[in-house]
Amino acid sequence: MSATSTRRSYQLTPGAWLGRAATVLVLAFFVVFFALPIVWLLIASGKTPHQLVSTGAFTPGSLGALSANWDALVHFQNGIVFQWLGNSAFYAVAALAITLLTTIPAGYALALGDFRGRKALLTTTLVVMLIPSTALVLPVFLELSAVSLVGKPAAAILPFSFFPFGVYLTYIYFSTSVPRDLLDAARIDGCGELAVFGRVAMPLARPVVALVGFFSFVANWNNFFLPFLTVPGVRSPIQVGLTNLLASVPAFNFTATGDAAVELPTLAVATLLSVTPVLLIFLFSQRFLVAGLTAGGTKE
Amino acid sequence: MTTEHPRGAASPLRHLVVAATAAVTLLALAACGSSTSPSASKSDGSTSAFGFAPVKQDSSAAITVWVDATREAAAKQFQKAHPEVPIKVETYDGGADGSGSFQTKVEAFNQAGSGWPDVVFSTQNNEAAWASQGKDAFAAPLDKGYLDKSFLDGFTPGALAPVTVDGTVYGLRNDLAPTVTWYDTALMKQFGYTVPTTWEAYQALGEKVGKEHPGYIVGTVGDSFAPEIYFWGAKAPVNVVKGTDQFSANTSDASSVKMATLIDDLLKSGSMAKESVFSPEFVQKYTGKVLMMPGPVWYSGALFNNPSSLKSAPGTIAAGLPLGWDGQQAVAGNVGGGTWYVSRHSANLEAAKKLIEFVTSDPSYQVDLAQGLPAYKDAGDKWLAKQAASGFFAGDFAKNVSAAASEVWDGWGYPRFSQEAVWAKTVTPALSAGKSLVDTLPEWDKAIKNQAQANGYKVK
Amino acid sequence: MTLAPSRAAAAGAPTGARQRPRRASRSVTGRWSRISYLFVSGYVLFALAFGILPTLYAVRMSFTHDDGTFAGLTNYVDAVQDFRFLPAVGHVAAFVGVWLVSLLVLVTVLSLMVHAIGRAWLSSSVRFVYYIPGALAGAASVVLWLFLLNPTVSPVSAVLRAFGFSTFVETIAPGNLPVIFAVIAFWSGAGGWIVVMYGALNSIPVEVLEAARLDGAGAVRTALHVQLPMLRKWISYMAIMSLAAGTQLFVEPRVLSQASHAVVPNDYSLNQLAYLFAFKQGDLNGSAAIAVLLLLVTLVLSVFFVIRGGLFERD
Repeated sequence: MSATSTRRSYQLTPGAWLGRAATVLVLAFFVVFFALPIVWLLIASGKTPHQLVSTGAFTPGSLGALSANWDALVHFQNGIVFQWLGNSAFYAVAALAITLLTTIPAGYALALGDFRGRKALLTTTLVVMLIPSTALVLPVFLELSAVSLVGKPAAAILPFSFFPFGVYLTYIYFSTSVPRDLLDAARIDGCGELAVFGRVAMPLARPVVALVGFFSFVANWNNFFLPFLTVPGVRSPIQVGLTNLLASVPAFNFTATGDAAVELPTLAVATLLSVTPVLLIFLFSQRFLVAGLTAGGTKE
Repeated sequence: MTTEHPRGAASPLRHLVVAATAAVTLLALAACGSSTSPSASKSDGSTSAFGFAPVKQDSSAAITVWVDATREAAAKQFQKAHPEVPIKVETYDGGADGSGSFQTKVEAFNQAGSGWPDVVFSTQNNEAAWASQGKDAFAAPLDKGYLDKSFLDGFTPGALAPVTVDGTVYGLRNDLAPTVTWYDTALMKQFGYTVPTTWEAYQALGEKVGKEHPGYIVGTVGDSFAPEIYFWGAKAPVNVVKGTDQFSANTSDASSVKMATLIDDLLKSGSMAKESVFSPEFVQKYTGKVLMMPGPVWYSGALFNNPSSLKSAPGTIAAGLPLGWDGQQAVAGNVGGGTWYVSRHSANLEAAKKLIEFVTSDPSYQVDLAQGLPAYKDAGDKWLAKQAASGFFAGDFAKNVSAAASEVWDGWGYPRFSQEAVWAKTVTPALSAGKSLVDTLPEWDKAIKNQAQANGYKVK
Repeated sequence: MTLAPSRAAAAGAPTGARQRPRRASRSVTGRWSRISYLFVSGYVLFALAFGILPTLYAVRMSFTHDDGTFAGLTNYVDAVQDFRFLPAVGHVAAFVGVWLVSLLVLVTVLSLMVHAIGRAWLSSSVRFVYYIPGALAGAASVVLWLFLLNPTVSPVSAVLRAFGFSTFVETIAPGNLPVIFAVIAFWSGAGGWIVVMYGALNSIPVEVLEAARLDGAGAVRTALHVQLPMLRKWISYMAIMSLAAGTQLFVEPRVLSQASHAVVPNDYSLNQLAYLFAFKQGDLNGSAAIAVLLLLVTLVLSVFFVIRGGLFERD
């Protein structure tokens, strides 16, 4: 559906027109599929607990209820939710920085380099990616405990900085999208290896850096298990915090009552709050994912 | 390893093999290393004043206390009363809804050989079953010299059963959750019914309600804790724990079958609901239509006196005594109630003792702030008097709840697994699909026994 | 793919290839290979600390008793004989069957469609909307599914009722779970993959697509004969990752188990079982055994995609 063809749409054959209609329908259906639950969540955050269970799903709530839910969230343990968000941001950004520094060069070397052990490293990366994370939680915890990092921010940051998924993404990107000849040409022009990487490869790699950065951030932000064990209490990231909130909902914890009890709409607000940073980062990194990559003519 | 294969097909395979061989070699090497974890509690046969071998004590060491959000107030109250005790409070999910956080974390600390908290609150009442076991047992025994007998005797009779394993007390109960027979006095009067006192009369009333006032209910089996209300209250031997590793369940016992038949019968007549009391449909369908409902004492705040749940009018809801079979002594069941544990690894047992005694018995928390019925008898009585004075409940609330609290049947055990989860996964879907409970009993029986076996019990 | 002549000389190869074209490239590749080590060094360190060593530790645990003595296959036998093991295998297989196929097909089709949208703002908005659910994780989604799957209050109650479900418990009946988990996993995971695929589609040179158009190929033929072959690596990568994620099903049943107060059991999938073994029964060795079995299955299945997708080849 390129811009030129839309202008000439009156010349479309019936078949092409049908195809286009089908495309629009399918895309629209999935827009509804992906967005509807989120819309519901937005509405739910503006309802009182009683409205939530007694009014229709799309009956809007009120601003008053929304602010009451917001207040309830902010008052939960004296606003600890902001501390959780801060912790998460710190862990995720620190790990993101280390991740980018280690994965992008590694993916680049794996894709375009020739060195002994390249394939072994690739294979290992793939194998480690496939191991069930629940199996790694305990060994990693023991490692961190052995060097007495448990309870310190490093216990959340360092394990997150290992991001084989990103290495593979970079590897595939460089091996499919950046022509070797371009790099060779630069070498013949007398560029050193670091200059080739910095001046030739990196500008081409912007989309993959954005992708890896984004996925790394999300993975760090959403990780639950390891921080649950390694950084408890006030150092908890938001995901662990949310389980504490959930455990203060009377329906999930019969003994939760009184001031410390959390109602479901409050949890909906907390959920939206926890999702917002991820979505902002997404919007930010999308700018770098747009077209205009100069894939060289040596590909066929 | 840099030759390019034209198809690249053989190489990944070969590399997998190479990687595997390397791994095996490393393993062989790794296996040479020793993996003895330092055991913190060395049993040298000498029993100290605590009744177990403590680690080296340091009266100035700060104690770490884990509480859920609701119990944070208790810890704060303690800090106010005892500013001299160094204490670090950490909130966690309290193991609510069977999340198992407490056990998960302790398991990890056991592996690491350090990092345990000193005092832990849990919302679950079967943590003692695992916390008292194993070579790295977490929970310190409390009645072997650590706590005074006079203090322990201050608890409501039977209150410490969930934290007692093989005759030894491993924790303190925070609050009680005996089942009572909730009923709506206004509806009873309106329909001209008398409140039943036996299961048989209850069944007859339910049938009558189904015929005369369809839409009204006398109970619900939609919750995972339904067996703790009905089967526990019927003295059904489906959860019997002996010692530390003996378990038996018998769903074909006469009282099990009788109760299952009763529930089937009421389900058929329409006066027994299948919804969970926490579900939106329950609130929508049954607000104002709950004639009776056997259930735990905390229904008061969670359902009846709750604007986002049933929202009952003040002065209409009464808590009746637990029901019993005709001609038999009535017993209460129990749903939940939090517990406190002290770590065997604590380096400041004196401070830990101060804390758990305070949070379980001190009126400044248990009476003035706590929402549940305190397990410590003296605080419990004061709390009940306070509730009765609020005027929300009809009938003799304090007397009946107090009676129920000491009538909890002791034939229902506290194993290392969750009976509620077994019921939820096997019975709830079956009932929802329209199967009868009596027909589901064998399946439930098998599921319970499988679960017990997987958790290391010798099943009879 | 034409290889630069210098490529023929395998850098660091022990036997010097004698007929090397005399070019500057020899010293270049030699230097490049040395620098490559520098490039991968940071990653290798992290991989050792947080990937390889923990993995080896887990593998070793699966072959030992809890006192560290060698156990042979005991842990494996015990794990497989556990009463929850076979049902869990069945659950996971059913889920992976439903999910993998739908994910691969739908993500590829949707990516091509999104890529075909002419207006940049529209295309990026659609991608954004598709991605939003990916930001919801773990506990955050418990509330959502608690309501979404409950016909009484669900925004999609019409759909649920059309299937004949009138209560929450009916909706989450055991027979429906593989499909429900597949829907949840797709809902939360597809958007991320669509973004990846979109980026991959973007890296296909415009000239290639133009050439196809001039040859008179329609959108469908271009997709089949030009775009899909160029996406081969990406699709295999997605297949492998999704296969791993699918066999390691954990989050979705855990969330639903919480939302339904255990009506959806907490031992539904193999990975949950591994977790229960480790942290509920204190059987770390049995847990490791289950994890290793999972890994083996995933590896065996992955080899197919590695070969078919040419993941280790270089163009």
